Amino acid sequence: MAEYYYSKIHPKKFALWLGLGSIIMMFAGLTSAYIVRQAAGDWVFYKIPEVFTYSTIVIVLSSLMMILSIRAAKQGNKSLHRLGLLGTILFGFVFTLLQFRGWDQLTEIGVRLTGNPSGSFLYLISGIHLAHLLGGILVLLIVFIKSLIKKDPVKEILETSNPDRFLGLELASTYWHFVGVLWIYLFCFFYYNTI
Amino acid sequence: MASTDINVGTHTHDDHHHDHHDDHHEELNFFTKYVFSQDHKIIARQFLVTGVLWAVIGVAFSVLFRLQLGWPDESFPILETLLGGWAEGGKLDPEFYYALVTMHGTIMVFFVLTAGLSGTFSNLLIPLQIGARDMASPFMNMLSYWFFFIAGVIMLISLFIQTGPASGGWTAYPPLSALPTASSGSGLGMTLWLASMSMFVVSSLLGGLNYVATILNMRTKGMTMMRLPLTIWAFFFTAVLGVLSFPVLLSACILLIFDRHMGTSFYLSDIWIQGELLTNSAGEIIEGGSPILYQHLFWFLGHPEVYIVILPAMGIVSHVMATNAKKPVFGYHAMVYSIMAITVLGFLVWAHHMFLSGMNPFAGSVFTLFTLLIAVPSAVKVFNWITTLWKGNINFTPAMMFSIGFVSLFISGGLTGIVLGNPALDIGYHDTYYVIAHFHIVMAMAAGFGMFAGIYHWFPKLFNGRMMNANMAYLHFWVTFIGSYCIFWPMHYLGEAGVPRRYFSFSEFDFANGFADLNIFISVAAIVVFFAQFLFIINFFYSIFAGKKMEKLNPWGSNSLEWTTPIVPGHGNWVGKIPEVFRWPYDFSKDGHEITPQTTSEKDLEDIPAVKRIPTR
Amino acid sequence: MYSLIGILAVALLILILFQLAKAGEYLGLLKGEKEANDRNNQVQATLFLGTLVFGMIGIFWSAWYYSDAFLFLRTPASEHGGAVKNMYFWTLGAILPIFVLTHALLFGFAYIYKKDDSKLSFYYPENNKLELIWMAVPAVVMVFLVLEGMRNWLKIMGPVPEDRTVLVIEATAQQFKWDLRFSGLDGKLGGKSVQLMDPENGNPWGQDWDDKANYDDFFAKDSIVLPVNVPVLVKINSLDVLHSFYLPDFQVKMDAVPGIPTQFWFTPIKTTEQRRVELNQPDYNYELACAELCGKAHFNMRRELFIVEQDQYEDWVKRQEPLYKTLKASASLEEEVEESDETIAAEY
Repeated sequence: MAEYYYSKIHPKKFALWLGLGSIIMMFAGLTSAYIVRQAAGDWVFYKIPEVFTYSTIVIVLSSLMMILSIRAAKQGNKSLHRLGLLGTILFGFVFTLLQFRGWDQLTEIGVRLTGNPSGSFLYLISGIHLAHLLGGILVLLIVFIKSLIKKDPVKEILETSNPDRFLGLELASTYWHFVGVLWIYLFCFFYYNTI
Repeated sequence: MASTDINVGTHTHDDHHHDHHDDHHEELNFFTKYVFSQDHKIIARQFLVTGVLWAVIGVAFSVLFRLQLGWPDESFPILETLLGGWAEGGKLDPEFYYALVTMHGTIMVFFVLTAGLSGTFSNLLIPLQIGARDMASPFMNMLSYWFFFIAGVIMLISLFIQTGPASGGWTAYPPLSALPTASSGSGLGMTLWLASMSMFVVSSLLGGLNYVATILNMRTKGMTMMRLPLTIWAFFFTAVLGVLSFPVLLSACILLIFDRHMGTSFYLSDIWIQGELLTNSAGEIIEGGSPILYQHLFWFLGHPEVYIVILPAMGIVSHVMATNAKKPVFGYHAMVYSIMAITVLGFLVWAHHMFLSGMNPFAGSVFTLFTLLIAVPSAVKVFNWITTLWKGNINFTPAMMFSIGFVSLFISGGLTGIVLGNPALDIGYHDTYYVIAHFHIVMAMAAGFGMFAGIYHWFPKLFNGRMMNANMAYLHFWVTFIGSYCIFWPMHYLGEAGVPRRYFSFSEFDFANGFADLNIFISVAAIVVFFAQFLFIINFFYSIFAGKKMEKLNPWGSNSLEWTTPIVPGHGNWVGKIPEVFRWPYDFSKDGHEITPQTTSEKDLEDIPAVKRIPTR
Repeated sequence: MYSLIGILAVALLILILFQLAKAGEYLGLLKGEKEANDRNNQVQATLFLGTLVFGMIGIFWSAWYYSDAFLFLRTPASEHGGAVKNMYFWTLGAILPIFVLTHALLFGFAYIYKKDDSKLSFYYPENNKLELIWMAVPAVVMVFLVLEGMRNWLKIMGPVPEDRTVLVIEATAQQFKWDLRFSGLDGKLGGKSVQLMDPENGNPWGQDWDDKANYDDFFAKDSIVLPVNVPVLVKINSLDVLHSFYLPDFQVKMDAVPGIPTQFWFTPIKTTEQRRVELNQPDYNYELACAELCGKAHFNMRRELFIVEQDQYEDWVKRQEPLYKTLKASASLEEEVEESDETIAAEY
């Protein structure tokens, strides 16, 4: 009999899901502002740079690495777990670089932050998304460093009976997948709204 | 999860939730116990004391600008002493008048009635009333307070800077708030306002996530959703509203920050100011933005925000009324569903603040529908409260007084909402004193009364089993209650005459100028009410340290779980196992038992002799 | 000094009250808790009843006392004001009885059902029929008010009926004044843009001189004058921050938004003269104000508005001088002084 009688899902996981809901609301606010503003006319259309397609592929790869890593951890394969984490983080960095490259390309084709709101919105929304992603990288780094630390073997055996021993990892991965899916949504949104 | 210092020694039961697996007793020093505490009860105290201090500042500001409105021709040397250059010769500077108005609104709405009310009581009551040892994440809970604290510090700093704090109204509509050249408060003051608000949003989100996760997942055995006290239901929907609407305010703020500092034009278009066409640093003309966009984003939070303020007060009042009338809340289910309805409709009415903003009038008429529909669940609640009193056995504790006052204010202010929600009438009343009267009575005063009711009721749980002095409380109640009506009722008359709000002086207009007597009356009432609050404040701080000690575990004869904890609950709330719950919290006067605590099972009940009093009412 | 003494006096008063309250607490203990509690309940219940009676008297008396100033109680000054006035009475008719009734019940129950230790409350947790009634009744009332409100709103906001000739004027707001442009003889307002603004060269509102409709447009110099019984369509815009075009007497209010033109049409039906006679105030004037916070002089954006008979209006129009004409006159004057500068003249 647990004290938290009605808990089917760990409260922290639940809180994270709620938090994701709140991030969704933020981007819903931003993208609906985009649509409302676009409908008002005086809107400059342009084509979204190709780099953003690549960054979308990279973020998908990164999520796959995360899945690999978490599966390895659950099977007890520590080195693969670490390797997966490292891959996830590296792809995360690659994504970041690609986003910067994307902004450069936007500037090259004449779409600037300070110009027509159509461009400003793209910079701003992808920028806020990147800020969320960098937060995710920070969390992954912490998880990664933790995975490197050697544990007391006795404690480790005791740990195996704890159903929540992967909680931190699971939280991090949920967030990471979310940020990835969020980007895919944003990419599609921009893709269909900028042609 | 960090420390779970459960001061109970005896219990080492294995049925601890997995979170408690690393149970260890950590020595707490002053800092970890009172400053960076993760105990929800201490965090509740921190929210409350911070909120009370902000309330003093916020209300004092309103007294300062009421001096100007009541006696526009007098000079008050004390203002110069207090404000220096902002009130040269004892006359308030118009720029600073608007800064005071803006700060009064921001402080009262966000810092006092959001953080001070829902922050305090959600933190205190959620774990205590649902039977949990603490929040889902005590650490996030602590962060929530400290982000609020930082928001407060930033706002406080903005009061002392050269150019003055933000002065574009609490809604901070661009372009006024976006253009430092348009008003001196739109310079550094506005930057700090935006920074402070962003911190505040983070604080609310961290708090809200925790409240929802805790309520849904950490209830004790037997505590089904339909056995939750109405306070918890109210906090739950408040948190849901906050979690879903605050991020949108953050979006609005970010776009505004970009317009102010990065030269974008989300909200700005074709602006000619100070004899020049507005351009960005690159020399391009700023065009293509829409100020109405900001209003949509702002009010998408701004309207739910008023429910964030009022719902906790409703919950507290429902609970306090039932407890002190020793009668179940009438229509518990209807109460829950009406809160739910208010929450849902609350998201669909934001544009009634914008009927005359230049928005499409057809859109306006849709928002009318939802706006007036929200009167239905509100009416249900009012009738239920009144029926709760019917044939009750009312003990007028201070908390009960404030609860009855709340219902009166909620009715008075709510009814004028029906007038304002009608766009045809809103043409006349929009941005007049009628609006000020409406929202101060229904939101500010009513929520304030809910907060007072909560403080008087749960003071013993907040501060080590001490009670506040009741006689002071009665005096406080009557002056505040009559005083609130004296301040805000006459404002309806100003509104009926079309007097616009946010006017530094009425002397420029014939139609607004004939009400010197009313304005003096309002100002005198405001000053009296302001000083009457010191009856509360002295009582509050005195009682924290030297109030009468509570003798019984359950001083008000309540059924809910918080009174089953020790007089001074430690970190972890209950000694030993968390009690199991067998019934809803409003079994008052049932089958000859005046109270039947939630922890009483049917079997226990057989052993307790019923007080068969003749007759039941 | 006085303020200091005042504050000290208040502080002293509060301290004395505090001491009394503490003493009362001990006194209550001496008298016995139950007795003190019963007495207190009696006192508070009576006070609630008193509040109900005197509060209601105060509220209705004061409303009557100030009713002269209520705009809705006057005869409407604009055509749509009549419809809105009806709406106002419908709404008041719905909320005033509820206001009195609920307060009577609230404070009445508080008085009647004060604690009586010989009795137990009536256990009455739920009655779905009752809930349904007080859900349905407000819902029906609200639906009626919504429909009436929407109908009026859409009519007011809708286009001017086609069979009526409309006078189009333009209100431009900036910190901190209103400028009213009239279309002149051609009945058309010329083009105008912020980007053409050039106050130094006599074009303070950015009128487009390539647009011939601008040639006879004029700005009202002192007071604004409008004819009675003619629909007036006000095109509203702002040069800097938000303002709001507010004519209290006419139930007219609409935000002025930089970059986004807004509008409001209304038909004045009372001349200033008629209003003065009616209110018995010989110097009464209609006023134009700003109703959206726009900066430090927000409270000071006044223009006077005169509603006159059609012929008086036409006289007034004839006396006004279009900006273009003024400019041209001064330009030709310059021409005489500096003969070489022919470009300006050529432009016109």
